[in-house]
Amino acid sequence: MAAPPGEYFSVGSQVSCRTCQEQRLQGEVVAFDYQSKMLALKCPSSSGKPNHADILLINLQYVSEVEIINDRTETPPPLASLNVSKLASKARTEKEEKLSQAYAISAGVSLEGQQLFQTIHKTIKDCKWQEKNIVVMEEVVITPPYQVENCKGKEGSALSHVRKIVEKHFRDVESQKILQRSQAQQPQKEAALSS
Amino acid sequence: MRSTAASPLGLAAATEPRRLAAARRPRWRALPRAARHGGRGGGANPNAYPSAAPPPRGPGPPTYAQRSPPSASDCFGSNGNRGGASRPGSRRLFGLGGLPRPFVVLLFPFASPAALSAAPPRASSLGARASPLRSGVSSARPAPGCPRPACEPVYGPLTGRNNSKGLPQSTISFDGIYANMRMVHILTSVVGSKCEVQVKNGGIYEGVFKTYSPKCDLVLDAAHEKSTESSSGPKREEIMESILFKCSDFVVVQFKDMDSSYARRDAFTDSAISAKVNGEHKEKDLEPWDAGELSTSEELEALENDVSNGWDPNDMFRYNEENYGVVSTYDSSLSSYTVPLERDNSEEFLKREARANQLAEEIESSAQYKARVALENDDRSEEEKYTAVQRNSSEREGHSINTRENKYIPPGQRNREVISWGSGRQNSPRMGQPGSGAMPSRSTSHTSDFNPNSGSDQRVVNGGVPWPSPCPSPSSRPPSRYQSGPNSLPPRAATPTRPPSRPPSRPSRPPSHPSAHGSPAPVSTMPKRMSSEGPPRMSPKAQRHPRNHRVSAGRGSISSGLEFVSHNPPSEAATPPVARTSPAGGTWSSVVSGVPRLSPKTHRPRSPRQNSIGNTPSGPVLASPQAGIIPAEAVAMPIPAASPTPASPASNRAVTPSMEAKDSRLQDQRQNSPSGNKENVKPNETSPNFSKAENKGISPVVSEHRKQIDDLKKFKNDFRLQPSSTSESMDQLLNKNRDGEKSRDVIKDKIEPSAKDSFIENSSSNCTSGSSKPNSPSISPSILSNTEHKRGPEVTSQGVQTSSPACKQEKDDKEEKKDAAEQVRKSTLNPNAKEFNPRSFSQPKPSTTPTSPRPQAQPSPSMVGHQQPTPVYTQPVCFAPNMMYPVPVSPGVQPLYPIPMTPMPVNQAKTYRAGKVPNMPQQRQDQHHQSTMMHPASAAGPPIVATPPAYSTQYVAYSPQQFPNQPLVQHVPHYQSQHPHVYSPVIQGNARMMAPPAHAQPGLVSSSATQYGAHEQTHAMYACPKLPYNKETSPSFYFAISTGSLAQQYAHPNTTLHPHTPHPQPSATPTGQQQSQHGGSHPAPSPVQHHQHQAAQALHLASPQQQSAIYHAGLAPTPPSMTPASNTQSPQNSFPTAQQTVFTIHPSHVQPAYTNPPHMAHVPQAHVQSGMVPSHPTAHAPMMLMTTQPPGGPQAALAQSALQPIPVSTTAHFPYMTHPSVQAHHQQQL
Repeated sequence: MAAPPGEYFSVGSQVSCRTCQEQRLQGEVVAFDYQSKMLALKCPSSSGKPNHADILLINLQYVSEVEIINDRTETPPPLASLNVSKLASKARTEKEEKLSQAYAISAGVSLEGQQLFQTIHKTIKDCKWQEKNIVVMEEVVITPPYQVENCKGKEGSALSHVRKIVEKHFRDVESQKILQRSQAQQPQKEAALSS
Repeated sequence: MRSTAASPLGLAAATEPRRLAAARRPRWRALPRAARHGGRGGGANPNAYPSAAPPPRGPGPPTYAQRSPPSASDCFGSNGNRGGASRPGSRRLFGLGGLPRPFVVLLFPFASPAALSAAPPRASSLGARASPLRSGVSSARPAPGCPRPACEPVYGPLTGRNNSKGLPQSTISFDGIYANMRMVHILTSVVGSKCEVQVKNGGIYEGVFKTYSPKCDLVLDAAHEKSTESSSGPKREEIMESILFKCSDFVVVQFKDMDSSYARRDAFTDSAISAKVNGEHKEKDLEPWDAGELSTSEELEALENDVSNGWDPNDMFRYNEENYGVVSTYDSSLSSYTVPLERDNSEEFLKREARANQLAEEIESSAQYKARVALENDDRSEEEKYTAVQRNSSEREGHSINTRENKYIPPGQRNREVISWGSGRQNSPRMGQPGSGAMPSRSTSHTSDFNPNSGSDQRVVNGGVPWPSPCPSPSSRPPSRYQSGPNSLPPRAATPTRPPSRPPSRPSRPPSHPSAHGSPAPVSTMPKRMSSEGPPRMSPKAQRHPRNHRVSAGRGSISSGLEFVSHNPPSEAATPPVARTSPAGGTWSSVVSGVPRLSPKTHRPRSPRQNSIGNTPSGPVLASPQAGIIPAEAVAMPIPAASPTPASPASNRAVTPSMEAKDSRLQDQRQNSPSGNKENVKPNETSPNFSKAENKGISPVVSEHRKQIDDLKKFKNDFRLQPSSTSESMDQLLNKNRDGEKSRDVIKDKIEPSAKDSFIENSSSNCTSGSSKPNSPSISPSILSNTEHKRGPEVTSQGVQTSSPACKQEKDDKEEKKDAAEQVRKSTLNPNAKEFNPRSFSQPKPSTTPTSPRPQAQPSPSMVGHQQPTPVYTQPVCFAPNMMYPVPVSPGVQPLYPIPMTPMPVNQAKTYRAGKVPNMPQQRQDQHHQSTMMHPASAAGPPIVATPPAYSTQYVAYSPQQFPNQPLVQHVPHYQSQHPHVYSPVIQGNARMMAPPAHAQPGLVSSSATQYGAHEQTHAMYACPKLPYNKETSPSFYFAISTGSLAQQYAHPNTTLHPHTPHPQPSATPTGQQQSQHGGSHPAPSPVQHHQHQAAQALHLASPQQQSAIYHAGLAPTPPSMTPASNTQSPQNSFPTAQQTVFTIHPSHVQPAYTNPPHMAHVPQAHVQSGMVPSHPTAHAPMMLMTTQPPGGPQAALAQSALQPIPVSTTAHFPYMTHPSVQAHHQQQL
């Protein structure tokens, strides 16, 4: 262990462990706190996105079989300063999004509708649920089943714009479904193996 | 680790202790609630949660046993519970505070904006509280509902430490994981992300990671327990606002798809963005920038202070390696490309080394090398080098003007340089005209004088589209002129001579052009100058005016010339040459040429004035120049307007010449530079003739032209005097002479101006052709400079209406020395309105008509604006305002104007509002374009139409004005009936215009929204009047108008035409080409229209409008120039423009106007006083009507719908608004 005295893991090391839930975890050490026995690992993104990673915060109290696959001797890169306000706003928006989604769900909106809503929301913040209808910019109303032809409102740029979004959404959904199916099977296998 | 933990949070954390504190506070308060809420969530039993035990899987959030209820406090705990906690706790918090930064991070999310304000002290106190809370309270909070309660537990442990530390933040060391920078960093970087928390019993909760405590207790917002069948999202009732997970309760927390660079400070730097793009080429959804509540100056400052200059190569290599697994093969020795030098001490090597050094030295010392290095080291930004807009050369290219200055001159610097420009421009126009030599001198003088005012205006114009376009065609000539202009200062003497000749010619063309050109840029400057320098200038001007008056024509021409130049550009190519060289060229060309001439003259006069007067105060001089310029522009405008209408052009020219001649004669007895003046006059006459020839169709016009010619001759004389004065000494002498010898003259001049104005107005109102000519002259004079105007007016008045001159003279006497005189002169513009009356009701109405004439002129501008509605219109409107203002131009006058204006406007506004509002909106919607389009189509539709769009674009800035104009346009349909109304509005507008020369400028240039607004208002007013007129109810409102209503209406048609013309010019000015096109198109259309007008007013209304639109297109260009001039002397300019516009219209109607001369005189007087306003309104109203009607008919519906809203407001405000706006403008100008 090249870790400095008092530290059991050096940043950058590859570590694997098994949780009390019999889940195998492996990743690069990002941080470790001895007092709280918390280990932060960075793993390849579960969605496969190149610039993204999954961060795991592991409570070593409930972990066994911790082993260091390889150690890293280089000094870890300096830490970049963080934009706290950005994070805070993200937390806020994420929460709002989730709540609005929940609201829609509790209203009995279909999954497609929810997804569509989220898609639209990414582009146009001014959209909300009105019963089961999605109201965009107070102008366009999308009624179930939320297809392009369900977009109604005053003819204009807003309506055409929303229609484009809806159209693209369903196109993307189709392509994603195919991907997900192929991907969904792999994780399951892995999970089975790991467990 | 800790050591490294320098600062994950970095600046943010450090900088925000306060915030943290603040944040804490809010929390506290909030906590109670949270606690309550929490209660429902699962918080039922604080203690209930078995800390050690596996978290209960129940619906409630994972329980957090409170193994350490006391400790739990920390940030969270403190927040919620601590409200009442003991101080020790607070300290602990501080201890945590050591953590502060981490806290901060955590807190921030929670913290509300208000939190920021919270004070650290409190935080500490809170901390104290927190401790107690922990013990007791914390347990209760665990409930999912209450995130904060949960927090408390976290602190428990920490508190202990904290206590030891005691002191808050600063010295405090971070407890728990807060001391682990890397842990803090990684956890903080995932704040706000969705995460899944797996608890000991296997349950998984999903929520938004909100914060964490030093003990690594976690808080999730909007969390819910993930069910195995997570096909759909959680239902509302399943979501807990927040859950606190004790560190002992969760096994793994997973944050999926985290972008490590998301929270990086440099997330928005190019490198950061491009880095992402390189990695994945997915299109990212653009998100609006949200500074968030936390973003404060501190953060921004941090960005400012970030001195780092991009990536270190090693960082790049490492980054690529880390992110893409790309290992660089970079070898600093570059062994792949070169071979290391083998050094030795051999003689051969030393020789070679010496040789190499020698060569290097030679190379580096070579000029070529230096030049190339200089290129590399050029400190100019790429923006400056490649993308910055450089307007002069290209835009003015048409004009040989390029020679002057291809450099783009910032507006601020333009004034200085402008002089040269102005002169140059003026010169160019003048150059085109005969007596270019003289022109230059004038231009020079102008330049000096104008530079500040006109120059700025012109420059602005130049900067704007107008100039360029105008310049192109005229360019060849203009350049020469321009050049001469700059050089001209010495030549002034020469200029004087030229002015006469030029003025005549210019009057016709310059007026329109000047207005358009000058108005935009100049306007702003002009007003200011006026305001500040106005009085001084005025006085100078007044004094100068005498000289100037003679010259004034010249000046007017000059100013117009400037404007024209710009204007000319549009039509220049064809017009200038044609007009000047070949009568056949067309009225426009002749007009154009005339305009240029005029402008030069005007400029010259101004310069002389300035020089003479200016000697004393550059400011005054400037003002005078400005005034002069403006007048010139105004004159030019009128002329252009006239030019559009065959008759009008001729008339205008004739008028201008006559005006000039008169001025020169009257003032200096034409002694100064008779020859020059004569020459100018002759050219003018010739041009008029040409126009006449072209306009032949319009016999009235011819007659008017003759009258105008006579006037012009008089003007020539006057101008001559002025020309002589052009040289500063000459000017001074002239002024003295004038003052002494011709105190009467001066008075007359002043009166004359008014008279002229009245005449002009009358002429315009009366006979588009004849009246227009007179008007134009009068306008030009007034525009040229108040003094000039006065002179011009005097001349006209004398020539046309001797009686009026007398009155004017009296007034002039008073005013001469004061700006008031100038104002009066400006007011004289109104007299023009009187002229209109004469036509219809000639004398009886004169008084009213006089005012109306100006109003008309003003209206015409406004009308123009309406016609041009979209782009052009706005400008036109502006112009109109400018025109209006010009009348008031004189500083002293302005106040008066406002007052008169206000009354008139109010009434009108009321009336207008009723009917106009609806119309207005429609017009606005379709906007000017449509209206303009319509008009052009009717008259010379195609060209105009094409141009209007362009204008519209250009004028977009002016849109407000345009809108108003549009409304007017809508009203246009009402024209005949509404004329009175229009006038009243117009008057108001004029008054406004007058008072706020600046208005004109703003409107023209778009420089000031306020001005535009004013214009709009005026327009609105107009619109209202129109409506009333239509209904005939309006008459009451437009009493004055009513008297001359018929005449006025007639005049209005003219005015409308004029307005159109002016507007067109403005529009044209924006785009030089457009202008030219418009000019071309307009001229033809206008003649026809004029004829039509003569035949049937109603028809005229429509046609005039159309014509006006056309004219506007042509004029639009000029108007800008006008505006510029107006800027210097916005009032004058505006007037000129108005007059010009009127003139254009007048050509057809002008002839009748001649009869009105008496009115003219009256009008001027009235204008001078408060009475002026009424007259203006009348005039304006007509104008408005005209414009409105045309649009209204075809376009009204279209544009109005859109426009109406604005108009409505404007209309509503109008009554008052106009006045206020005017005042405001004045202030601005000041």
